[in-house]
Amino acid sequence: MDEAQLIKGIQQGDRKSFQTLVETYQLMVVNTCLGIVHNKADAEDLAQDVFLEIFRTAENFRGDAKISTWLYRIATNRSLNFVRNNKRKRFFQSIEETFTGGRNRTSEISENRGDQPDRNITDEQRSDLLHRAIDRLPEKHRIAFTLNKYEELPYQQIAEIMEISLASVESLIHRAKKNLQEQLLDCYKKKCV
Amino acid sequence: MVSYIKSNKMKNKCIHKDLIFYLDNELSVEKRTAVEKHLEECADCRSFLAFLQERLQIIEKEKNPEVSPFFYTRLSARLDEKTERQTQSQWVRLAQPAFFSLVLIAGIYGGLKLGSNASSPKVNQQTTSSVQMLNDFATEPIESFLLGEL
Repeated sequence: MDEAQLIKGIQQGDRKSFQTLVETYQLMVVNTCLGIVHNKADAEDLAQDVFLEIFRTAENFRGDAKISTWLYRIATNRSLNFVRNNKRKRFFQSIEETFTGGRNRTSEISENRGDQPDRNITDEQRSDLLHRAIDRLPEKHRIAFTLNKYEELPYQQIAEIMEISLASVESLIHRAKKNLQEQLLDCYKKKCV
Repeated sequence: MVSYIKSNKMKNKCIHKDLIFYLDNELSVEKRTAVEKHLEECADCRSFLAFLQERLQIIEKEKNPEVSPFFYTRLSARLDEKTERQTQSQWVRLAQPAFFSLVLIAGIYGGLKLGSNASSPKVNQQTTSSVQMLNDFATEPIESFLLGEL
């Protein structure tokens, strides 16, 4: 079944076509969301939201881009929204903790790490450090970097997804890597993890 | 000559800022050779390269996770639930205005009915009291009433 037939089927409410679409692209969508939210359960929930949106808005699909491009756009937008909402929640939680006198446990842990030279660094701590560094990247840098690193997409396809020029993608990825390296260098110097 | 000067500078200065691009194979051949030469001599850069490589390998480890085997089953259930909710909300959208219109009509009708019931005894009462007063005057004229007071 080619893309046009698949979309036509979904537009007519055919569940079989929808199932084929989901089974073909589920790993791609989950992986993209995972690159931004860094949690498998959240990534799967977001991927489900992406497919529900596809089913609901299939009639708007004009067919001038590939299905994968459409899916990547929705997946990145939804993941960024999720991260923004989480940040907002954390912000209010930190305010609450300030008033209730509680301390943020994660910051406490990261502050103490530098004082332990013989610490046993787990993979979890390493990935936590990398995720935090990726999360600090500006949104556009993050999307371009994630699509390139997690999905191994060529710059041209990233340009189509983000609707920007090839030169802009090159610049975004270059700056993202530079920024990431600076953050990791800072951490290396401070011996945080 | 220029590359010689550059590589001489590299010998003295750490090249941390180039290492992520070195790992991703994005340096020119000339620069790559210079970086490799510097790495042979600089322990700090070698250590940071290992640090960087270790962190970036995490992406390789965590990407393409195994998707839950019940992914479509869960999605299908959510889709059914959503369709059901949409049908229900369509019914609610139709039933709600109809219900409120009925309540409004019933209220107006009830109000009218109550109003008409409430007005008739009042009129009767007024009539009877005026009749009584008239009758009082007839039975007891004001002059005899005043004389009686004295």
